[in-house]
Amino acid sequence: MHFVVCAKQIPDPETPPSAFRIDEANNEVIPAPGISPVLSQFDGMAAEAALRIIEAAGEGKITVISLGQESAQAAIKQVLAMGADEGILLEDDALQGGDSYTTARTLAAAIEKLGDVDAVFCGRQAADWDMGQVGLGLAELLGWPSAIIAKDVQIENGTMHVQRVLADGFETVALPLPAVVTISNEIGDPRYPKLQQIMRAARKTVNRWSAEDLGLDPSTVGDAGARLKLERLFIPELGGDVEIMEGESAEEQAQNLATTLREAKVL
Amino acid sequence: MSVSERDSAAPVRPAGRRGKPRPVRLTGAWWAPAVGLSGLGLISAIELERTNAGREVFFNVQQPWIVYILLAALTGLLVYGFARHATLWTVGKPTPGLLREIPMRARNAIRLGLGQEKVRRDRYAGIMHLCIFSSIIVLTAVTAQVALEDDTPLSFLHGNYYLFFSFYGDLFGLIGMIGVGMALYRRYFDDFHRIRWDERLEDHIIIWGLGLILITGFGVEAARISVTELNGFILEDGTQLEAHPDWARWSFVSYAIAEPLGILDLTQDQVLAGHTWMWWIHVILAFGWLGLLVFTRLDHMIFAPVNAFLLRTDAPGRLSKIEDIEEQEVFGVGQIQDFTWKQLFELDACVRCGRCTEVCPADLSGQPLSPMHLIQDLKAHLASVGPEVQRRGHVGGDVREVAQLEMVGEVIKDETLWACRTCGACVQECPVMIEHVPTIVDMRRYLVMDEARVPATAQTALENMEMRGHPWRGTNRTRESWMEGLGEVPVFDGSQDYLYWVGCSGALVERNLPVTQSVFRLLRESGASFGVLGQEETCNGDPARRLGNEYLYQILAEQLVETFKAKNVQRVITNCPHCFNTFKNEYPQFDGRFEVLHHTEFLEGALTDGSLQPRHSLDSSVTYHDSCYLGRMNGVYDAPRQIIELLPGVDLTEMRRSRSKGLCCGAGGGNMWQEEVGERRVNHVRTEEAVGTGASEVVSNCPFCIQMFDDGVPAIQPEEEGRIRPFDIAELVERSVLGEDGASSNGAPTATT
Repeated sequence: MHFVVCAKQIPDPETPPSAFRIDEANNEVIPAPGISPVLSQFDGMAAEAALRIIEAAGEGKITVISLGQESAQAAIKQVLAMGADEGILLEDDALQGGDSYTTARTLAAAIEKLGDVDAVFCGRQAADWDMGQVGLGLAELLGWPSAIIAKDVQIENGTMHVQRVLADGFETVALPLPAVVTISNEIGDPRYPKLQQIMRAARKTVNRWSAEDLGLDPSTVGDAGARLKLERLFIPELGGDVEIMEGESAEEQAQNLATTLREAKVL
Repeated sequence: MSVSERDSAAPVRPAGRRGKPRPVRLTGAWWAPAVGLSGLGLISAIELERTNAGREVFFNVQQPWIVYILLAALTGLLVYGFARHATLWTVGKPTPGLLREIPMRARNAIRLGLGQEKVRRDRYAGIMHLCIFSSIIVLTAVTAQVALEDDTPLSFLHGNYYLFFSFYGDLFGLIGMIGVGMALYRRYFDDFHRIRWDERLEDHIIIWGLGLILITGFGVEAARISVTELNGFILEDGTQLEAHPDWARWSFVSYAIAEPLGILDLTQDQVLAGHTWMWWIHVILAFGWLGLLVFTRLDHMIFAPVNAFLLRTDAPGRLSKIEDIEEQEVFGVGQIQDFTWKQLFELDACVRCGRCTEVCPADLSGQPLSPMHLIQDLKAHLASVGPEVQRRGHVGGDVREVAQLEMVGEVIKDETLWACRTCGACVQECPVMIEHVPTIVDMRRYLVMDEARVPATAQTALENMEMRGHPWRGTNRTRESWMEGLGEVPVFDGSQDYLYWVGCSGALVERNLPVTQSVFRLLRESGASFGVLGQEETCNGDPARRLGNEYLYQILAEQLVETFKAKNVQRVITNCPHCFNTFKNEYPQFDGRFEVLHHTEFLEGALTDGSLQPRHSLDSSVTYHDSCYLGRMNGVYDAPRQIIELLPGVDLTEMRRSRSKGLCCGAGGGNMWQEEVGERRVNHVRTEEAVGTGASEVVSNCPFCIQMFDDGVPAIQPEEEGRIRPFDIAELVERSVLGEDGASSNGAPTATT
């Protein structure tokens, strides 16, 4: 079995609110000083899900793919330390920027290039923009079946059995391989890597593929190919106002409150 | 199999029963020779003309040469026994640096081994040991002199010296009896539990054996005195021994026994027969007892001074560095042969006295760690797998397959290792100088790095250190949040005298921010030249090292040493005793040598030299809690107390456990980030002690301690009214120097609670 885990490096979601800044002119998040980007948590869980299946089967291979910048190597190494076998960084100026569609397109091209992939594991969503579209888009582009927001994944006789989290419980679906599954936090925390593995991961070389390697027309990926346009990025202003209801008696105060609320069109 | 936890049904011992500990002031075993020498002088003066005193060596004993066969047998037994021990020790890895600092090691062997400095931390046990120890030494010398007199051309047991010899022999026999009496009382009558936590048959045999040896010794002497010196006697060769009651009185104990023997109207033959019997019983008991030296905990007579010699000579707060960590096959200690031979030797030195467990914060709180049982379990494990490991090691076999039980996980449970606070109380108390903490951390290293078995919450802290450079997951503060409202905060650029190191807790934990601000304002007020690193601060790795992730620690430490060097840092003031200890004692392992002060030390200096003036009277009663890493690990006990002394209107009440006997707050050793398992929480126990002093504030100097008290107080004092309030000593100083509203006079909001 050959699994692909898609991993994204994101700005630390635990950045303290006071350190979170955006550049409204360019609609960009300004990286907080002194706070390193991290592996999106759900992607770590996706790796955990893939590793559990491989461990149970006793054989198999995991390739971790990340679309990102040079720094995303750290995210790849983290999944390698957990036990993945190979890492590929999709890094190219043409690939930068973009939206969920171009990301799915780029990842799909890489998976097709790998060829013998049996299943793709993604996080349910990246913990920065929380779109949750790449997994589904990937399945669509590959023409594979998919199941999203999984709390458990098993593979038996070429069929993937997925427990999907629902609002009021879960459902189990079966998918023929190859398939795409996105993993939710219910699967549990990613494992703590052993030092031997961390050091082995540190020594591994991460392959780099460019748009050209993937056979992608630069105009269809990255910023150029994006179909989603960010109109405006801003931090909402939070505010509050207090008005004390005057009145001789409780009834009068209640009446005034009702009038005020009606005037404010709340009632 | 045994586990390193005591029966969980055992009741938690109530704290605070024996009152405030008083320092034990005995001058060691030195008074023994002093008494001897002065006695010698006295006797020489009185007995100048009496030169013919003496006695027949081996009087009334047939075949005394059997003694020498026994001696040979004993020697053989001792050699065999020690060789067996030594064989087990050789299973361990080499112990680097043991031959460095020989003078200090020799001093330790004398001070801690022969001088029994740690034994005396329990006064009763100190006196008891002194009695028994001096008695054994002197009586062995007495016996050796008899042998010399008999078997060598030397002849000195006559005249004045013989009388003196008789006197001090009896004196130390009596002292030995007192010691044995104290031991018997403690073992059988005293409401004193710790020596019974792991009581074995040998404990009874040892003490009764020694008592019988002394009793029969006096009996033999009394019988001899009765027939010879009191009544006169003719030897077989016709030598006439004249009656000499004046000589007999020098053997004052035996004389006191022999004199009343006359009432019994025994015949000379009966006394002689009794003498012979007792003589042989005495000799056989003595040899047998010495034979126990290799098979029972009596071996501490030898191992304790040796272990004192082997004791580390560097700071107690320093954990060892794993050199070339990337090339190790095993990280930390997973199996018995991964320990150093010194660590294995220590296992043999343990006497099961229970002092370590008695002071262990985990055990006190009913949590699954008893340092004594941990050492004993490792010892038993060594005995069970050691010989096979040793054999396979010789023939190049696979030593890692020997043990049937996993040492880490089965012999010593994971939760036992995690319960350790690395507070060092066990190491501090151990009378045979066992260092439990490095041994525990070595096994944690294996758990974390080799097995990746880490409690979830500790794992979060470790991952956070790795990803975010601090252990405080979920903080909504940045490293510069505390600077708000303080005016200009100087950034360290290498030109200032001090780097003020805020630390992760001081910057990122809500309760600790005001402390950071207090220290800052005091530094500014004192006129000191200092700067801070702000966003450039990262965790120095201490929690990672204590939790066992040496690899992460080394990465963080190496980075920070580079940063410090690049910024030309020479002197550091830290907020946190853990940062303090790491910079001071551990960074030299990474070639980072800086002068490190905790703010307590700085404040004491500033108050003493007048750069800070405590103007405002505080009208407060406080108790002071020694943090482990400032106190026990670095010996800073006086500076904080000096500060409290200097502040007007502050009244200090000490807790029962204070200074080197201080009890950990419960957060050390990475337990800040772990869920506690057990009957109680350590911080509740400690808070109870603080509340018990009746003080209105509990003052400490460590961000963890303060958090632990903050957490413990509502549990111990549910009523909000009259609660004890936890403060850092800097906050106390600030109130006195700058006044209650001193902060706002500097244009900053008051941040104290």
